Amino acid sequence: MYEELLEDIAQRNGLREVNTSLKLAAALGGLLLCLVSTGYVAPLAIAVTLSLAILFFAKVDARTYAGLFIAPFLFALMSVSVIILLTGGPDPYWTWAPFSWLSFSITQASVNEGFFVFCRIIGGMSALIFIAVTTPMTDLFAVMRSWRIPEAVLDLAMVIYRIIFMIMDQLVQTYQSQSMRLGYSSFRESIGSFSTLCGSVFIASWDAGEDLVRAMDARCYAGRFAMLGETRPVEVKPLLVVIAFLLLSSLIVVLTGNITVIRGGP
Amino acid sequence: MSSVILEARDIRYRYPHGMEAIRGISFHVRRGEKVALVGPNGAGKSTLLFMFNGMLRPDSGVLLFDNVPIRYDRKSLLELRRKVGFVFQNPDRQIIAPTVYQDVAFGPTNLGLPEEQVRAAVEAALGAVGLAGFDRRPPHQLSSGEKKRVALAGVLAMDPDLLVLDEPTNALDPAGSEDIMELLDELLEEGKTVLISTHDVELAYPWADRVILLRGGEILKEDSPEVAFGDAGLVRKARLSVPVLLDLHRELERRGLSLPGKRPRTVLELVQAVERAPRGAGARPPCGIIHVCDVDVTGKETLAAWLSANDGISIGAMGTRAKQRAATEGLPLDFSSGVIDKCILKALNGRSSLILTVGGMVAQVERRVAGFREESGAAIEVRRLEEA
Repeated sequence: MYEELLEDIAQRNGLREVNTSLKLAAALGGLLLCLVSTGYVAPLAIAVTLSLAILFFAKVDARTYAGLFIAPFLFALMSVSVIILLTGGPDPYWTWAPFSWLSFSITQASVNEGFFVFCRIIGGMSALIFIAVTTPMTDLFAVMRSWRIPEAVLDLAMVIYRIIFMIMDQLVQTYQSQSMRLGYSSFRESIGSFSTLCGSVFIASWDAGEDLVRAMDARCYAGRFAMLGETRPVEVKPLLVVIAFLLLSSLIVVLTGNITVIRGGP
Repeated sequence: MSSVILEARDIRYRYPHGMEAIRGISFHVRRGEKVALVGPNGAGKSTLLFMFNGMLRPDSGVLLFDNVPIRYDRKSLLELRRKVGFVFQNPDRQIIAPTVYQDVAFGPTNLGLPEEQVRAAVEAALGAVGLAGFDRRPPHQLSSGEKKRVALAGVLAMDPDLLVLDEPTNALDPAGSEDIMELLDELLEEGKTVLISTHDVELAYPWADRVILLRGGEILKEDSPEVAFGDAGLVRKARLSVPVLLDLHRELERRGLSLPGKRPRTVLELVQAVERAPRGAGARPPCGIIHVCDVDVTGKETLAAWLSANDGISIGAMGTRAKQRAATEGLPLDFSSGVIDKCILKALNGRSSLILTVGGMVAQVERRVAGFREESGAAIEVRRLEEA
């Protein structure tokens, strides 16, 4: 319960003061290029570049980043091994057919396909993590408004964002007071404590909701929510870096579309 | 514009299915006054405060704002809530938006101001509470004191005439409380009226112009702090305590020290009374000079040059901006609370001092010292740094 929230990392990262659209362009552009690329080199290059940017520009702690990356990485490894075993092809290196309707094989084509999918996953993941650790939710709200997301949805999202942290506090406090009095010492006990935890948090959020209405009324709520638009201009240097990144990546996509891990073959 | 900003005439309120929380209360608040509503927990302080901006409607009796009875239709309520800024006890419950800017801009936006005006109002309000540059910060990352100031800024952005604060220093550390009370004094200088509720007698005693002692939904006493808190029986009845200074003053008098003048509100006043009490006349050193520096006017070099010419002088800062200036220029502060009084105490001892402050507070220093000079006859001089 003491884990650092992704949002807190994003609020403090080294690229906080860079224009939001620019960061989104870099990450979403990278993601798109990973998807259109037909070879493994481009997604791999994008993964490496964005990871370096996260570590050295955004100054995210390497250990934190590794922690974020490990889950999708393991997931990618597992899915890719299944792809390698199930994708068929001529001239297998290894086969095993336990039943007539099921056979496993490793072929040149399956290794190539598997590695390509793997690179795509880590490329895409690093793009998504790049957004998560460099762009706090509060900045995304402003971008969402400029994308014409309905006001009601956006207002609700902002109120929810604000209340999440209050409920989180309540949750931590109740949990602490329970565990201090040995509320989680046995399985039976844990079940009981957990249900009261849920109950008290529910009541707290109900209270918070009523207070919210009162707080809004006290300040003349008339259906409008203020927005802090983008105030950080697009600066030349970051703009050039993003353009260079996207151009180079596109170039790699075009030039290395046919390169595979294991070349040639019979 | 009338001189009485808020008036209650025999108001009563009973919670649905509950006890009578307010049992016939009448009082008034004058423009530019500092009023403290003091009472124990459950005295009906918060209930009463909620009536001032129309959140609750009294069952009977009349509330008047600016000599006009409060009306409870939507339009009148909006107007009332713009003029009466309400700061909740728990800032977490008052702050609604995901960033500081959006929260402070909430009121002005809902008043329908155009965006540039909203931006200007937010900047002014954040500047006033000393949180310039906090625009993009999410509230959950702020300290309690900062949250309180955001809540206050959110109200200030609507430019209210009357500020109502429920337990303004609750859950704040002593320095944070000092900051908030000082901020309230700055706002008073700008012509606002401030009404607070508290059960902290030490906070209310030196600060308030008038104290309303509340208990069980009724007014026990309404008077100047030294009179209201002077009645020990009444104070005990209200489940409060007599302020330490009053207590000390009374004990000294009981010991046969005849202390002239009215009951002391501050350490300075008590010391002065003790010094003037009849006893062997000692020669007093000549008084020191109190220098006042408006940090908005005086440049960095001027200040630095002055300080190097007056090495070792005691420095005090009043107000958030002055304290920030001192911090950024690395000036060591000798006083950061009760600054004027401490500087007068220094001056009485023949030592000079410098007060860093802003705008209208300069005049306040001069007024305070002039008042003291008249009362005590001590020739303390106040000099503005800009004129030196």
